[in-house]
Amino acid sequence: MSLGTPVFFVIAMEFTREIYWNVGHGAATLVPMYLLAIAAIAALVYGFVRRAETYKLGKPKDRFDQPLARTAAMLRDVLLQTRVLRVKGPGLAHSLFFWGFALLFVGTALIVIQADFTDLLFDVVFLKGAFYKLFSLVLDLAGLAALVTLFALLIRRWVIRPAGLLTSRDDLIMHGLLFAILLTGFFIEGARMAVTEAGNPLAAWSPVGMGLAGLVGGLGESTLLALHRGLWWFHLLLAVLFIGLIPFTKFRHILTTSANLFLANRGPVGKLATIDLENENTESFGARTVTDMSWKDIFDADACTLCKRCQDRCPAYNTDKPLSPMQVVNRIGETAFTAPDADLIETVGRDAIWSCTTCRACQDICPAAIEHVDKIVELRRNLVLMEGEFPGDEVMTAMEQIEVNGNPLGMGYAARGDWAEGLGLVDAGSSRDFDVLYFVGCYASFDKRNIAVARSFVKLCQAAGLKVGILGKDEKCCGEPARKMGNEYLYQTMAGENIGTIEASGARRIVTTCPHCYNTLTKDYRDLGLTIEVQPHPVFLSQLVAEGRLKIDAASFDCSYHDSCYLGRHNGLYGAPRQLIESAGGRIAEMEKNRDQGFCCGAGGGRILAEEKLGSRINVARVQQAAATGTSLLLANCPFCLTMFEDGVKGAGIEESLRPRDIAEVLAERLPA
Amino acid sequence: MKLLVCIKQVPDMESKFKIDADGVWYDRSDLAWRMNEYDEFAVEQAVQVKEATGADLTVLCIGPEQVKETMKKALAMGCDRGVHIADDQSHRRDPYQIASLIAAFAGDKGFDLIFTGMQSQDRGSGQVGVMAAELLGLPAVTTIVGFALAGDKITVKRELEGGVKATVEATLPALVTCQLGLNTPRYPTLPNIMKAKKKELLAVAAADLSPADALLQTVKLTFPEKKGGGVFLEGDVGEVADRLIRILKEKTSVLA
Repeated sequence: MSLGTPVFFVIAMEFTREIYWNVGHGAATLVPMYLLAIAAIAALVYGFVRRAETYKLGKPKDRFDQPLARTAAMLRDVLLQTRVLRVKGPGLAHSLFFWGFALLFVGTALIVIQADFTDLLFDVVFLKGAFYKLFSLVLDLAGLAALVTLFALLIRRWVIRPAGLLTSRDDLIMHGLLFAILLTGFFIEGARMAVTEAGNPLAAWSPVGMGLAGLVGGLGESTLLALHRGLWWFHLLLAVLFIGLIPFTKFRHILTTSANLFLANRGPVGKLATIDLENENTESFGARTVTDMSWKDIFDADACTLCKRCQDRCPAYNTDKPLSPMQVVNRIGETAFTAPDADLIETVGRDAIWSCTTCRACQDICPAAIEHVDKIVELRRNLVLMEGEFPGDEVMTAMEQIEVNGNPLGMGYAARGDWAEGLGLVDAGSSRDFDVLYFVGCYASFDKRNIAVARSFVKLCQAAGLKVGILGKDEKCCGEPARKMGNEYLYQTMAGENIGTIEASGARRIVTTCPHCYNTLTKDYRDLGLTIEVQPHPVFLSQLVAEGRLKIDAASFDCSYHDSCYLGRHNGLYGAPRQLIESAGGRIAEMEKNRDQGFCCGAGGGRILAEEKLGSRINVARVQQAAATGTSLLLANCPFCLTMFEDGVKGAGIEESLRPRDIAEVLAERLPA
Repeated sequence: MKLLVCIKQVPDMESKFKIDADGVWYDRSDLAWRMNEYDEFAVEQAVQVKEATGADLTVLCIGPEQVKETMKKALAMGCDRGVHIADDQSHRRDPYQIASLIAAFAGDKGFDLIFTGMQSQDRGSGQVGVMAAELLGLPAVTTIVGFALAGDKITVKRELEGGVKATVEATLPALVTCQLGLNTPRYPTLPNIMKAKKKELLAVAAADLSPADALLQTVKLTFPEKKGGGVFLEGDVGEVADRLIRILKEKTSVLA
């Protein structure tokens, strides 16, 4: 390949093109080009080194274990855009743009590799022949896809303006720069093709370029050459600017979000970090300032793209409470970068902190694998453990009741097993003659409405020929509401006592009718030593039905079904409860928000203990969604949900037309006589 | 300044009560125990004074070994040390004997201010605070709902019948008994719970304080007789109104 080539460069043998055509491949091109590239990379590195100083304000947290699994997850989520594609529309537009732009990046890299390395050093040219045709076509189409989707996203952001979408200077810079890069790229191609490929069959492999060549073809050769050269340098400058701006704009998400997918919490889903309360050197608990958070909490803010998917799904945000998970994450980030000593609780706001139901809708949908809930719990831990503060006096009273009586309802602890009188249950404290230990939970033990669920569940177990043991007055609150409210000390006290009692009972298997108990026993208690298998009742009963031990009359009925957050998003149990309902003849009319998109009842995160004073009522919103299915039966699997719905149907004035029930109640009624 | 707050461990009032074998008190098994509610107001007020003045605050509790659990809460709320007057039979003692134990302990300690609850949730005599003050020769102000300290003078609010409030001044040393509405007791913070575990807890045997003889004797303890419960009138509004009028006519004299 010669330098300073003539204008027409036609290869007779093979299809290819001259790289650096018209701009030259000499020092006059390469030196400024590589200097600019180095400057861009230097800016990129400098920007992130500066940002890393802020990440380091946080406490240590190991997110580099299982490097292979982490890398695989990251590659899958980035290259296949798995998380992004969970939301149609903008998700698809982003993915197509990403794939288009990524292909252009790869294509550009191939050109650099050939021109400045393989060809220069080894005379190896691979952009030729059939591969070059494919290369041309793919890049042309990739560019087109990127342009079209970028335009669609621009229309969305500035014309449609979806509610809650925040648009800043960064978005303007990004859209402008990307448009300019794509358009200049295409016009460079068009100008080059107008001069070199007019009438050449090769042109058909660059359809967009060919179209533009036709558009600019009339300008005349000397103008085209000048235009091409000018645009080439301008395009290079834009590309350099793009790379250099990555750490300083939301472009940073290209690297930070990808990295966050590597750094993601690898579960168990929804298990909180257990605080070491025995460590006498710990002077502060929970988070008051960013330095009390982990570096990952600060990094999360940098991985956030403000896509507002979390906010769109937040039950608190959607009922006019002052909580947006997106804002929580970003206030923490802003504080870290601008005022690291500031009081995070003041910055985020108490009302926002206490409004969270820990339903995980935010965290589940986040395309950047950000951990919203843990941050909120850390702030709550500080309020409770360091200040003795709660969202209201009723919550403090409930905490004291848990301390005194082992339940938040304030019922005398000795009456905990009274609900089971006459049912023929085994006292697991004094006998080991039982097949399964039923960890009843506070609501099914003391709350009249939920006692009916417990009795139904026992009836089902006994119909399947199982001997059920309970701990009676020795059972305590599992501690979940206290823990989610930030009261780690009370949680660990309850957990320690329960684990001792359970182990002493000799139980080999535990079953729960409360998903909060289930999640806590099967995940959180593991840190404190419980090893016994735990099953939630829909799974347990499904197995009994599948094994043929439990026979249910399958006359058909219509219902809707509410995925509790703690069986659903926390444990991915969407199928088993539905199968169980269907095996009993249930025809489920799905609510618009179901499965992983399920809308919380409002009682998670310890909110069951608190009055809902802000905004509109979450439980009313949810029962109205259920009523919209046109069925008169709302099936639930959680005592908190059931309590909220019983209250919600009254609040919505639809108690005549919608009846909330637990799956177990419906099943127990359908036991063959 | 030296402060003393006297607390009592009582059963949670939601417990299932049974009468004990002697028929003079409740059976102590299967009960959940906690700090007497009025004593929580006393502890909170004492801790607030301690925080404002840097005073030294002792918490005193009479009862069996298990009362130490309740004392730990007072220590976690901010008391500096605990004095446990060990007495397995404290529930059998009359208010005068309890007051005499407090006075015997406090007599030579020079406390400037003593806080007690206005009564206990279980026995409810409301006498211990005032009798301890009498035995110690101190002025006592009962059922306080407001408290201010300036120099060696306290200004407290008392709740009277019909919502009327009285403002009372007294010069230290003095004793006050605390009523609901005085303050909102704090929830102990974790560092304070941890510190409380290491605070000094002195044990004094009740016998060593030579309690006085009882002046009162509980003769018998019984549950209140069951009387008619509430009646829910449900259904058509007109019909409900008719039924209500009928009941009012038959069972009351309001329409007579």
